[in-house]
Amino acid sequence: MGGDDCDGPPPLKRMKLSISATKSIPVEASPVYPTGLAPMARDLPSSDGETLGCKGQIRKLEFVRIITQALFSLGFQKTANVLEEESGVSLQSPVITQFRNEIMGGKFDESVSTLRKVAPLEPETLKSASFLILQQKFLELLDSGDTLAALKTLRTELSPLQINTQRVHELATWVICPSKEELKEKAEWEGAGLDSRARLLEELQELLPPSVMIPEKRLEHLVDQALTVQREACIFHNSLDNALCLYSDHRCGRDKIPTKTLQVLSAHEDEVWFLQFSHDGKYLASASKDLSAIIWEVVRDDYVRVKYTLKGHTKAVSFVAWSPDDTMLLTCGNEEVVKLWDVQSGECKHTFNKQNSNFSSCAWFPDGKRFVSGGTDKCIYIWDLEGKEIDVWKGARMPRINDIAITRDGTHLVSICGDKDIRIYNMELKVERVIEEEKPITSLSVSKDGRYLLVNLVSQEIHLWDIFEDDKTSKPFKYKGHRQERYVIRSCFGGSDQAFILSGSEDSQVYLWHRGNGELLEVLPGHAGTVNCVSWNPVNPHMFASASDDHTIRIWGLSKSPPRSKGSCSSNGGVDHLVNGGTRELMEKLRPF
Amino acid sequence: MGKLYLIQLDGRIYSCKFCHSHLANSDQLVSRQFHCRHGKAYLFNTVVNVSVGPHEDRRMTTGLHTVADIFCNCCQQIVGWKYELAHELAQKYKEGKFILERAKVVDGDSNGSTDYYLDSQPVHSDTEDV
Repeated sequence: MGGDDCDGPPPLKRMKLSISATKSIPVEASPVYPTGLAPMARDLPSSDGETLGCKGQIRKLEFVRIITQALFSLGFQKTANVLEEESGVSLQSPVITQFRNEIMGGKFDESVSTLRKVAPLEPETLKSASFLILQQKFLELLDSGDTLAALKTLRTELSPLQINTQRVHELATWVICPSKEELKEKAEWEGAGLDSRARLLEELQELLPPSVMIPEKRLEHLVDQALTVQREACIFHNSLDNALCLYSDHRCGRDKIPTKTLQVLSAHEDEVWFLQFSHDGKYLASASKDLSAIIWEVVRDDYVRVKYTLKGHTKAVSFVAWSPDDTMLLTCGNEEVVKLWDVQSGECKHTFNKQNSNFSSCAWFPDGKRFVSGGTDKCIYIWDLEGKEIDVWKGARMPRINDIAITRDGTHLVSICGDKDIRIYNMELKVERVIEEEKPITSLSVSKDGRYLLVNLVSQEIHLWDIFEDDKTSKPFKYKGHRQERYVIRSCFGGSDQAFILSGSEDSQVYLWHRGNGELLEVLPGHAGTVNCVSWNPVNPHMFASASDDHTIRIWGLSKSPPRSKGSCSSNGGVDHLVNGGTRELMEKLRPF
Repeated sequence: MGKLYLIQLDGRIYSCKFCHSHLANSDQLVSRQFHCRHGKAYLFNTVVNVSVGPHEDRRMTTGLHTVADIFCNCCQQIVGWKYELAHELAQKYKEGKFILERAKVVDGDSNGSTDYYLDSQPVHSDTEDV
């Protein structure tokens, strides 16, 4: 209600009025505050102990200040000024404003003395900050050609600080730089002007306590943190688009994970042992016991068709590897030769052979010109595309290689040696790390970022290891639930951000876990035989494929509506097949008769 | 069938006679003094690439034992049995160990092993190694 007109109302009453009547300024209080004195005159309601949020965790004063900073950085100067006035909380104290202006204006000596007036600082901080300012002064003086003054600064101002003497020596050497360009290059300095001064301010801000000079973009940083927490809590999160909505907490539903068979591919005539999507997600390669490999073309989410059938192996094909640019494909026979195929023409370019070749798997180098192969003959060969053997690793310490992989960036070579050992060889540092598992390992795969590796064990566990982890006692992250006793079952990373782990199983189902918390999210039936291998499309987080002993490959995608209401047969492309549980539904429909 | 995962051993290996998948290493051999229906049998500490069948109680020359037949992972042939439980104290040392029938395995060292059968006995028999 309107202001009081007498001077002596009890202070309490005045305070209450001030809080409620934020719009109308009471008559007593002076109408215009010079910016800067406001906090002094009005250090009443908005500061001191007022907190926001349901837990009382947010201090109102700090909250208002970061909002003001956000407004300034977004360019809304006028709004920011009004906010400062209304709330009585200014973004930075006048001393700081003065300090900033002095730095940006190049008045370094004044800024050093202002520095002392800023809130109490530790002597160390004061020295480091002064050092930075004086260094800038020195560089600017040199830049403008005033060498004598620069030297004077060095001698009388920088050295007495007695910190970072090495840097002082460095600065001294730059005095004799012949040209400005060379000075800039050596000092990694942008030259006198607003840019370098702004950078100086940033560096100073890191030194000073945050309440004095709030770090840039503080509000954005806090919101980012909250979004990251939400995203990590969302276990079904599986979309391509990175931005989250601010209006409500992010929570994906189960329908974001592919759970429905969209297509069944039956071109193989025998068990399908391996399959993998190309890096660009446009093709799929599968390897089968029928001695052939097939390159499929991914036309649509639910339509994949044969492009080429690659024949030539005399034994079952057990492994394929796409070149980094997806133009070539390597196929390995089951302890047989390695063949190189051209994807565009479907022709075999070369067959790699060693006496009694017993290759079990191969991996490309990131340059796409060489690859490694490992086999039961206890040697690792490095080949070039013409068939020449570039190098070989063998010897007494090299046991049988069951599986081999190279990380995308080419830094690590991972191999499964002698059933239970994982050998991670850092090709740059030439250092090897060996992880010994307790049970035999059947297969290996590495993540897209080259940080993690996944192994399937005969003991029905899948272990996730960190490649960079150096700790000898570290334990792997484990995924369980599937069945594996006798056969080589493969697993893979997948989904957006590779947040899921997918594996085949001897009970004919596909198993899907959340990578972060190990929770088994989905068990997908459909195949009629052991699921040997799975591969997630690297480009489409809503598509993956599985290969099985029932001679088929299944393409899985999102189920758009609950299966019950849709009826048994899926409608796509006239391909006649029964989807997840489709048979059961058909039978249920017939039962009443 | 899927791509079978077979463990490969090094050294002197006893392999399955029919599919040649590795079964046991000679350094795991405990005794050669055992017998089975088809002849000699060897006792091993551990064997690989076999799967274990259901438990059965069988009376053997040395007493009652609970055993489980073992099958080669690759060709599914019975290659011997595993001692799960020995009901007599003196036989306890056999528990957890495996018997491989001499007739079903090939010795790693010799090429074309000379297999000869002893007189067949109507019941499973075994003897202990003194």
